[in-house]
Amino acid sequence: MSKPDQFPIKIEQPGRAVNKGGNVFSRVFDELTAFCRSRSLFILHYCTGCGAIELPPAMTSRFDMERLGISPMVSPRQADILLITGYVSVKTLKRVMLTYEQMGSPKYVIGICSCTVNGGMYWQSYATAKKLNDYMPVDLYIAGCMPRPEAVITGLRRLMDKIAAGNANGWQDYYRRYDYYLGNQQRLFGETWQTPTNVVGEARHYGLLGPETQGKHTELLKRHQEPLEALDMRLGLSNKLEVES
Amino acid sequence: MNAAPLPVERLSIILGEAKEVKVRQRSERRTRVDVGADALPALLELLKGRAGFVHLSAISCVDWPNEGEFELVYHLWSYELHLLVSVHTRIAREPGVYVSVYDIYHPAGFFERDIHEMYGVFFEGAPDMEKFILTEWDGPPPMRKEFDSEAWVNDHFDWQDYRPDWLIELEQQGGGVVVRPDEQRFSRRSEDEG
Repeated sequence: MSKPDQFPIKIEQPGRAVNKGGNVFSRVFDELTAFCRSRSLFILHYCTGCGAIELPPAMTSRFDMERLGISPMVSPRQADILLITGYVSVKTLKRVMLTYEQMGSPKYVIGICSCTVNGGMYWQSYATAKKLNDYMPVDLYIAGCMPRPEAVITGLRRLMDKIAAGNANGWQDYYRRYDYYLGNQQRLFGETWQTPTNVVGEARHYGLLGPETQGKHTELLKRHQEPLEALDMRLGLSNKLEVES
Repeated sequence: MNAAPLPVERLSIILGEAKEVKVRQRSERRTRVDVGADALPALLELLKGRAGFVHLSAISCVDWPNEGEFELVYHLWSYELHLLVSVHTRIAREPGVYVSVYDIYHPAGFFERDIHEMYGVFFEGAPDMEKFILTEWDGPPPMRKEFDSEAWVNDHFDWQDYRPDWLIELEQQGGGVVVRPDEQRFSRRSEDEG
């Protein structure tokens, strides 16, 4: 397996923009976008373990996350940050993967608590996933058991700095090395693991299709993948009730 | 005029009617009863009917691999006598089949289902022996003593490499952190690369 920085990743770095062709404003919009992104972050309200108990004080009046422009969001489609607040059991990890893939890019993952780093006190447990960054790219870890709200705020500020500097590119890594992440997921969840999201198609859409996006694991996925069927949607009451009324 | 018997005395009168039980008073309100596997459902029926032990708070299972037995403990509480009775019985580990007490205590259905997925004990007559919490688990029953959780973990997960700069600096100066060989864990990725 190769390291993430093996492939030349074209990162737009607004702060250190080279003035090409004499256009002073060539990077102005990138800079502005990164600045705005870092100051309007929505955290997906998805809590997995004990670390979630540190978030209410971080969100509400005591530490007031909203003064940094961070607030909770209910749906993954509209959220920017996925906070993994503690241990993830294997069953939960499946739901976390589904949630992560549903989030729109750019998206950022923060692993809070020791459990997301290395299993923490559940290192010996058959049911708890260790090492979250095997399954999805993690931009930032906040270690601690559990980290205090001050530490959570510090971590979020560091993430803001990373976003403003254009360095929080974990989500791009997921598209570039999808085969690696999918391989780890298949190893844990079984060969028939599949999600409804077409990650390879999304990688093509973002222009992030790399040499490691597809491989033997995506081949295996194609072999097992069952096409999604549209849900049966009907308006009104069911037939039986209609007959009765 | 006779004084009403104390709760413990009432219990011992009832238990005196049961055959082949070993009663031990653990404390003022706790009684341990050891009973053969054949006699357990009848004893539960007796306790429920005669002493108001209507509350089955849990069924525990203990694995005794050296003796080749599972120990099942039925924890009963009486709202009338305010006593806790734990009824212990032992069944053979192989084939690990026992009768369900669902018809006496309906909550037993959940406890038996849980024990079935954690220990592999099958309860005959239970309404549902499907997976309960470990719905996506296809390994062996994980609470059995022969299930090596650490080996399973090492087989299925990788570990984070932690080699910060300060540690590398310390090691260059001849220091470092001593980790016992049996506690050293590495990520599989670095094994592949190295």
